[in-house]
Amino acid sequence: MAEAPASPGGGGGSHESGSPRGGGGGGSVREQDRFLPIANISRIMKKAIPANGKIAKDAKETVQECVSEFISFITSEASDKCQREKRKTINGDDLLWAMATLGFEDYIEPLKVYLQKYREMEGDSKLTAKSSDGSIKKDALGHVGASSSAAEGMGQQGAYNQGMGYMQPQYHNGDISNV
Amino acid sequence: MDNQPLPYSTGQPPAPGGAPVAGMPGAAGLPPVPHHHLLQQQQAQLQAFWAYQRQEAERASASDFKNHQLPLARIKKIMKADEDVRMISAEAPVLFAKACELFILELTIRSWLHAEENKRRTLQRNDVAAAIARTDVFDFLVDIVPREEAKEEPGSALGFAAPGTGVVGAGAPGGAPAAGMPYYYPPMGQPAPMMPAWHVPAWDPAWQQGAADVDQSGSFSEEGQGFGAGHGGAASFPPAPPTSE
Repeated sequence: MAEAPASPGGGGGSHESGSPRGGGGGGSVREQDRFLPIANISRIMKKAIPANGKIAKDAKETVQECVSEFISFITSEASDKCQREKRKTINGDDLLWAMATLGFEDYIEPLKVYLQKYREMEGDSKLTAKSSDGSIKKDALGHVGASSSAAEGMGQQGAYNQGMGYMQPQYHNGDISNV
Repeated sequence: MDNQPLPYSTGQPPAPGGAPVAGMPGAAGLPPVPHHHLLQQQQAQLQAFWAYQRQEAERASASDFKNHQLPLARIKKIMKADEDVRMISAEAPVLFAKACELFILELTIRSWLHAEENKRRTLQRNDVAAAIARTDVFDFLVDIVPREEAKEEPGSALGFAAPGTGVVGAGAPGGAPAAGMPYYYPPMGQPAPMMPAWHVPAWDPAWQQGAADVDQSGSFSEEGQGFGAGHGGAASFPPAPPTSE
């Protein structure tokens, strides 16, 4: 991984969460790996409030926990879909489908545009770079973060349209706990 | 999607010392008309936010994909915490970086609306809890932020609002009639000068400057806590090959 293993806590304050998470958690994952950096979250939050507004630390920490839960929530739904379809790799369309299914319809339109532009950029990069153009699944194993290869992404152009066919919102109200 | 907020009680106990706010007798809930007006304002604010995000996504550029607001490696680790998750394509963390930004913005906007209803300028945990309780799509978070946190509200309701003056920082003083109820927002029809594209009178939110924030990827010292590791996500994506120029 390109990111430093020890995230400096000084800048973003303490990552320790004061509220215990009931029943959730990935188990042996380190504390600093369970959340996104609070400084990044704080910066984004400030864009949503007036300039003279302030954000208490406990609010930042709460949103920090909510974001991790959001990622796990969407990922779990996308993963279930991949398993049903006997596919091993979660791609962008699976995430979009999961978000639509779980009620985040407002997110789909901007994210579709964003994903399309990303794929276009990757396509340009590949054509110019002439790098290895095989559909190597290894890219998704441990080097996905360090690899700009989007062979699978390009291959999913067809699925991109299919994915939008699942715009049936299915609210999962009730007891949805993070296993 | 018509995400109607759940009915909620905006009645709050008076500030300590028994100094009642003019126009708000006791802790009774707001009358129907201002309540409905308030909900309209909130919906308008969120609609404007989503409309802006749709425009913003069109302007995504190569630099946006290299300088994410959130580190991709960390996102991937959170995804992999689920043992059922096996392989993740390169585009998944990239898409999540944008999705999480939208999620943080929406949750914060909804939370801030609650802080404003309680005449506070500091966003607190119970504001986040209230936003989650009111929004159906956030049901999956009810266990993360127990609703009981809302009990802190009485203690945190510091009454700094001056009776008769505009409660929220409305731009034009004339837009906030002093008589009767404290006024949360200027009239719907009054355009906000800073946002000619639409009429959202609450405030001039900074989320429309997201592109500028991304373009200035070097300026991480705005809040005095530069976070080098936070920018580590950029290292996850090697720079474009030189031949791409």
